Amino acid sequence: MRYETVIGLEVHIELATESKIFCSCSAKFGGEQNDHVCPACCGMPGMLPIVNKHVVDLGMAAGMMLNCDINRVTTFDKKSYYYPDLPCSYQTTQWFAPVSVNGRVDIETSKGKKSIRIKQIHMEEDAGKLVHDDWTNTSLVDFNRTSVPLIEIVSQPDLSSAEEVIAYLERLRSLLRFAKVSECRMEQGSMRCDVNLSVRPEGSDVLGVRTEMKNMNSLSAIARAIEYETARHIDAIENGTEELVQETRRWDDTKGASFAMRNKETAGDYRYFPDPNVMPIVIDDEWFNTVKSNLPEFPEVKKARYIDELGLAEGDAEHLIQSRAFCDCFEGAYEVCGNAKEAANWLIFDCSKILNQKQQTVDQLNISGKALGELIKLVLDEKVSRANAKKILSAMFEEELDPAEYAKANGFIVSNDTGAMESVIAAVIAADPKSVNDYKNGKEKALMALFGKCMKELKGNCNPQVLREMLLKSIENA
Amino acid sequence: MTKDSLQKLEKLYQLCLTEEEKEGVIAFFAKQDDEFAALENIDTANVERMVHVMPILTVVREDVEKKLFTREELQRNAPETMDGYWQVPRLVE
Ligand SMILES: [Zn+2]
Repeated sequence: MRYETVIGLEVHIELATESKIFCSCSAKFGGEQNDHVCPACCGMPGMLPIVNKHVVDLGMAAGMMLNCDINRVTTFDKKSYYYPDLPCSYQTTQWFAPVSVNGRVDIETSKGKKSIRIKQIHMEEDAGKLVHDDWTNTSLVDFNRTSVPLIEIVSQPDLSSAEEVIAYLERLRSLLRFAKVSECRMEQGSMRCDVNLSVRPEGSDVLGVRTEMKNMNSLSAIARAIEYETARHIDAIENGTEELVQETRRWDDTKGASFAMRNKETAGDYRYFPDPNVMPIVIDDEWFNTVKSNLPEFPEVKKARYIDELGLAEGDAEHLIQSRAFCDCFEGAYEVCGNAKEAANWLIFDCSKILNQKQQTVDQLNISGKALGELIKLVLDEKVSRANAKKILSAMFEEELDPAEYAKANGFIVSNDTGAMESVIAAVIAADPKSVNDYKNGKEKALMALFGKCMKELKGNCNPQVLREMLLKSIENA
Repeated sequence: MTKDSLQKLEKLYQLCLTEEEKEGVIAFFAKQDDEFAALENIDTANVERMVHVMPILTVVREDVEKKLFTREELQRNAPETMDGYWQVPRLVE
């Protein structure tokens, strides 16, 4: 018999905010344990939550990027469960009226195009972290992550393979990075994915027993977990190797297997009820339109525009749209220097190289497009040599600076002082008669050596064309 | 409320009731259940969902980070701490 896999995803995304969802504590990753806490987020009695407006902005923006309807009256609810990483014994989340509902994400795989329906996107708070200490045989609680804002994106069970799941997650990541909702970095835990999976005979419309898998922290781990779990289900159905039960399972990537965690509590067991401490949020037209007007162009619209209007090669356009920071910098630089190809190259080659050396991601690019454009203009106008422009670019990664002023201050401006060039050439020729003779006897390489020495003496600040011509003339006369 | 459903709730709320307390709770909820059953008989088909009992909306704040308390202040009344962590009985998943 042939089987089909039915997969629905719950994706948790940490929002790119400065402060937590219900208090003003820092939402930044890291910090010393319990350094980002206050009485509200560590659950002291009598504290009341105050909603961070930007969390609602981002919840709406995510919904709009994923073609959702926005609930103009959205409310928070309490989800109760008892665990020390949750100081209030409930998580404040959205159950009855989530911020965004009924969306759609379009994906493309080797089997063609497909639409994945989004059930809802809700806003909620993260839980704290527990460390187990073997020495004292106790657990240690860190509330830094408690109340850090999250959105959970719940899909309908429309996915049917690891390939589709990965295409879906990559699409989500790209859209949400573009809208600056989150950096969506799986390795840092700012994007986490739970996989709900069941298997049924092909063509059947009855769903099989569903299991939920957690703890995959890369796309490839998700693919492995789906392959494994599908095979386990089919084996159980065909050979009766085990009885499938609805449960939560933990993926162990080193063992390449999933293990049962605990019986999945049904929705009723969380005893969801409206949070009396947070009043309903009404999103009026002004708020709605402000968020909508701040949305970016969709990445593929940008890509087409870069190719059709700015004449970029497809590969270059594709490279740029991997990151909103690159796109913003590219567009800013193009506006100033007017040369799209140059702007793209400086980003794709030179900026990427520096980011690599600094072990930073493309999203961490923090030079201004305007400054990059000015730098490119200096090169195109032959005021600064390419080699020196690269040095200026490196400095731009360290501090905000005006490229022209920096070039002046550091002696990087190309000089048209032919007198200075002549004396340098004369000195180089006098010091290396062998290379002069070699060139005269037909060795092209010898010219390069002499040219390089002159360039070095002049610190790269001359027009290479002019230098070459003057050098040739001097050799002839030597 | 039955003995079975009470047992389930005990587990969820991490409670440990005596037999006497259990009987008291079941008797109490038997009365409550009757009252809720009466509510079920009201026709609410055309009534809009009430989002909140109070007709007021939430106040939102701007996304500005502020540090208002030190860790030492917050942990002053903690029964046990260790290296800046709250210390609790060991949990095994
Ligand atoms: Zn706080």
